[in-house]
Amino acid sequence: MPDLKLSRRNLLTKAGAGFGAIGLAIAMCQESRGGTATGLSGGMRDLPHFMPRAKRVIHLFMNGAPSHVDTFDPKPMLAKYEGQQPTGKLYNPSKGTGFMPSPFRFSPHGSSGVVISELFPQLAEYADDLCVIRSMHTNVPNHEPGLLMMNCGHLQPVRPSLGSWISYGLGTENENLPSFVVLSPGRPVVGPQLWSNSFLPGQFQGTSVDTNDLDVEKMVANIRHPLLDSAQQRQQLDLLLAMNRRHMQQRENEAIFDEQIRAMELAYQMQSEAMVAFDIARESDQTRQRYGNTPFGQSCLLARRLVENGVRMVQVHYVSKKNKQPWDTHTDNNGQHRRLCEDSDRATAALLSDLKSRGLLDDTLVVWGGEFGRTPYSQVDNKKSDTKPGRDHHHTGFSMFLAGGGVQGGLMYGSTDEFGMHAVENRVHVHDLHATIMHLLGIDHQRLTYRYSGRDFRLTDIHGRIVNDILA
Amino acid sequence: MCKSLGILLLCVGGLLPIHWATADESEAVAFFENKIRPILVQHCYECHSGASDSIKGGLRLDFRELSRKGGDSGPAVIPKRVADSLIISALKYETAEMPPSGKLPDKVIADFVRWIEMGAADPREESAAHAPPKKTGDKIDWKAAGEFWSFQAPRKTAPPEVVNSTWIAQPIDAFILGTLEQAGMAPNEPADRRTLLRRVTLDMIGLPPSYEEMEEFADDTNPAAYERAVQRLLASDHFGERWARVWLDVARFAEDQAHIVGDNKELFYPNAYLYRDWVVQAFNRDLPYDEFIRQQIAADLVNPRDSSNVAALGFMGLGPKYYRRNAPDVMAEEWEDRVDTVSRGLLGLTVACARCHDHKYDPIPTEDYYGLAGVFAGTEMFNKPFSDGDETKENGQAKDTEKSTHIVRDAAPRDLKVMIRGDVTNEGDQVNRGFLRVLGNGQSKPFRIGSGRLELAYAIASPANPLTARVIVNRVWGQYFGQPLVDTPSNFGQLGSRPTHPELLDDLAVRFMENGWSLKWLHREIVLSSTYRQSSRLDATKSKLDPANKLVWRVNRKRLSVESWRDSLLAAAGVLDRSLGGRSIQVSSPNENRRTMYSYISRFELDPLLTLLDFPDPNTHSERRSQTTTALQKLFSLNSPLMVRLAKDLSGRVVKQPDLTDRARVKLAYQAALARNPDGEEIEAAVEYINAGQNKDEQWERFAQAMLASNEMLIID
Repeated sequence: MPDLKLSRRNLLTKAGAGFGAIGLAIAMCQESRGGTATGLSGGMRDLPHFMPRAKRVIHLFMNGAPSHVDTFDPKPMLAKYEGQQPTGKLYNPSKGTGFMPSPFRFSPHGSSGVVISELFPQLAEYADDLCVIRSMHTNVPNHEPGLLMMNCGHLQPVRPSLGSWISYGLGTENENLPSFVVLSPGRPVVGPQLWSNSFLPGQFQGTSVDTNDLDVEKMVANIRHPLLDSAQQRQQLDLLLAMNRRHMQQRENEAIFDEQIRAMELAYQMQSEAMVAFDIARESDQTRQRYGNTPFGQSCLLARRLVENGVRMVQVHYVSKKNKQPWDTHTDNNGQHRRLCEDSDRATAALLSDLKSRGLLDDTLVVWGGEFGRTPYSQVDNKKSDTKPGRDHHHTGFSMFLAGGGVQGGLMYGSTDEFGMHAVENRVHVHDLHATIMHLLGIDHQRLTYRYSGRDFRLTDIHGRIVNDILA
Repeated sequence: MCKSLGILLLCVGGLLPIHWATADESEAVAFFENKIRPILVQHCYECHSGASDSIKGGLRLDFRELSRKGGDSGPAVIPKRVADSLIISALKYETAEMPPSGKLPDKVIADFVRWIEMGAADPREESAAHAPPKKTGDKIDWKAAGEFWSFQAPRKTAPPEVVNSTWIAQPIDAFILGTLEQAGMAPNEPADRRTLLRRVTLDMIGLPPSYEEMEEFADDTNPAAYERAVQRLLASDHFGERWARVWLDVARFAEDQAHIVGDNKELFYPNAYLYRDWVVQAFNRDLPYDEFIRQQIAADLVNPRDSSNVAALGFMGLGPKYYRRNAPDVMAEEWEDRVDTVSRGLLGLTVACARCHDHKYDPIPTEDYYGLAGVFAGTEMFNKPFSDGDETKENGQAKDTEKSTHIVRDAAPRDLKVMIRGDVTNEGDQVNRGFLRVLGNGQSKPFRIGSGRLELAYAIASPANPLTARVIVNRVWGQYFGQPLVDTPSNFGQLGSRPTHPELLDDLAVRFMENGWSLKWLHREIVLSSTYRQSSRLDATKSKLDPANKLVWRVNRKRLSVESWRDSLLAAAGVLDRSLGGRSIQVSSPNENRRTMYSYISRFELDPLLTLLDFPDPNTHSERRSQTTTALQKLFSLNSPLMVRLAKDLSGRVVKQPDLTDRARVKLAYQAALARNPDGEEIEAAVEYINAGQNKDEQWERFAQAMLASNEMLIID
């Protein structure tokens, strides 16, 4: 006879035992048709496929697309040919006044001599850690499909995001925190599709956090009971667990009940852990100032706290409440880049500095970039005579950089043509970038698949080439 | 620019069945696994496997027999005959030069030589499940293809003879008991009356029974009491609400778009709820399923003078519209959505696979995809004004989308040209609009009437179609038993599962059609069976023999869907608003009391509560819901404003009663929340808890919340 006695002490002792957050390796997810069953922590049993170089990823997303010729890809020819019309079908001459040189000075930095524009003075100190890819390209010059491609590997919605795939494959390092967190002070263009789990199980969706208000309870839904303190809630939870335990014992201890009980205990523990991990107020004023008192700066600091606490992937979108894509500099490209880069420079450098000093940069991959680049030629708003020239969307050649996590630092990889129009040497498509990020995480992008609608889907579809040249 | 634009979807290579090697064999197999298979996968499969876009030289190296049979030049692998095995001379660059990208290291070639010398052990069996469609030249052998189980018309077979014939209440039971007895097993005992009533009520109307209903049923000794309860539930308006939601998953019902440019709501569907309500009513009035399908595809053409079913066209008319629509590649994506929803949803076939190449496993050539897509290419999404006098745009659409029904209608009919490898710029032959040839003995009569929608509707909703009835019967079964007869409810093709009880599935499908495609008939047939009325007890011996319960020796315990769970909580707290139909609600608003199935469904951003509890992505057809257990779900139970509010409501129901003892109040709380009385220990534990805090009212609330968050609330026995 199972012991059904409900005396509090007797049952509560039992209920409290063995539900800790540790060692929950049992299969908890019923949904396993797409592959091997996953545990509460997520993750596939046969992953990683090989020894990973990176354990986690921070993706700093410059929404709207930064200009490569003003940041990481100097093009002196633009000065020589200033005002001349580029040829080719991609150029729309009605919009601009021809090639527009960058007003920003470029110089080599570090012992490696990575060339960076004056817009990134602090980041330049980490030149030897950066792997700048100057030969990125993507499929179309429109934000929506460009964002979807960069985040989900497909031009239309309804594909899981990079972060969801990574969570699905590797699970989380900390069962008390979500494995994929998206920090965004406001909503980027396209929005939730960018961190969608799509057909993967719901637990792999990115947990999106609005970082406009850094109060933990505002950022994380349901993280704290509105009325109960921790002791009162523990008491309530003990009652609940006793009820559930008894209910289960009356039902042959079937595993589905145990899963629920464990998840409940885990949730309770998650509260305290998440309250700490998300609480940016625990950082010193000095640290907070190093990152910059801006939504992006503070989000980068939060990203560091989250990866320190075992979150697998953190994405920081550079957006604001009012502007879903600040880097979309169709007008006053130069002025806007000066302002945006100052913010991004400070925060990114602080992040790299902290990751380095904590020894985390070795196995944390930092990715910096937008959905594409901007035209080397200008764009002028003819309706307003007094606006300064901007740059238009540009997808056939642009720059991104990677740092840490098993990539070669101090490297400039690939190149665009002499005007920065097209990636010509060592071209890297977004699919290739995805394949490489996955490779660094120990995932074979061709083998991490999910069966849906009669097919095995993967992030890179039928594409993707690992950029071996940039691996450390 | 990348030509294929990422639309060439990856198709699957064969999953390998488990091979049970003897001890002697295992070493040879290990050699194959370690040295040979990785090389084959890495260097050969691209051109010589089922996953290849075109198989080079007719040679496949992804299965043992195919490797041995070889290609155009002869056998690639002959065990123990190194000199005759063409793969060796090709690897040595003596005959063919393989792989073309460069000769493999000598060590690798030596491994292949050794492997063949050892007997070329190879566990890669080509199971029937993964055989590609048989072709003669480039043509599909339609006769052979039609022999696959799901393409054969369902047949009635005589139910098996059983020993325990008194157990048979419905024809279903004979089939279930037959297989159980064959396996030397017996079904579980019947569920007790309270368990049964809670189960059948939640299953049929998605709401829990009240305490009074439970008591009455438990005490009713009339043998017809259960049947009466079933009749009552079938007649309930809540039946349609519960089952409409199942259909809305199939139909990927949603009310907006995944892409929103600025604040432009032009492409939204403010009156999408009309379609949702039409589905609810169709189920409530037991609209025959064949008619139900025809109305959704072609209500305007089936009976042009009757406009009462026009909202049914929302099935297509509420489909996703993508960014940059009207560009050819974007429209091609939209047509794929339509083909996918119709084919997986109604036929259980993954036709969209054939957009870029012939289906790798099912007899669905690319031409057939474009034959179907052509139907949708000849339609347009249309906002039909509510009344004739309403202001319209030039094309006749309502100027104010708020005053319109969102439908599809025929535009200029057109036949599509095949897009080679799915590339819109690479056109092949033009294809007549028509139905899948495999469902017409290899023939497809071109659709002639307008877009072809009407002919499509009749081709699907036809007793001659071997799939349509089976697919819906299987979906309904899956809802009741938590485990469909075909484990892949939207894929009845080669890569789908085979039915666990093929004769039962066929019998139900045939009799379903004979009974006028009546869904209420089907529900009755299932819930009145002894099979459904079994207890869910996890029997140790039986679960050893059949751990997955494939033979249905018990009824699986099921977790409530997000809809039934939230509705149950509202009912327990005494605040559930049972009104029917109308505009959608914001379900995460903590003060919302309407049923969850009325939630606003967004493609752009699904409601967080729905997302949390396994509601499927409404951007595409959902085959079935996944079931996840996460800590975030439990944070909702512990802390969410909804739970806190409902706990207050529930405790209010018992605290407000005057002149009651704590014990009596605990009893009331159990009756309200769980429709039963607590036993002595439960009362003791509750009273002890309630008196353990300083503020008794607050303790009652916390106690009430624990009841709402309990597993008993969440799981159906």
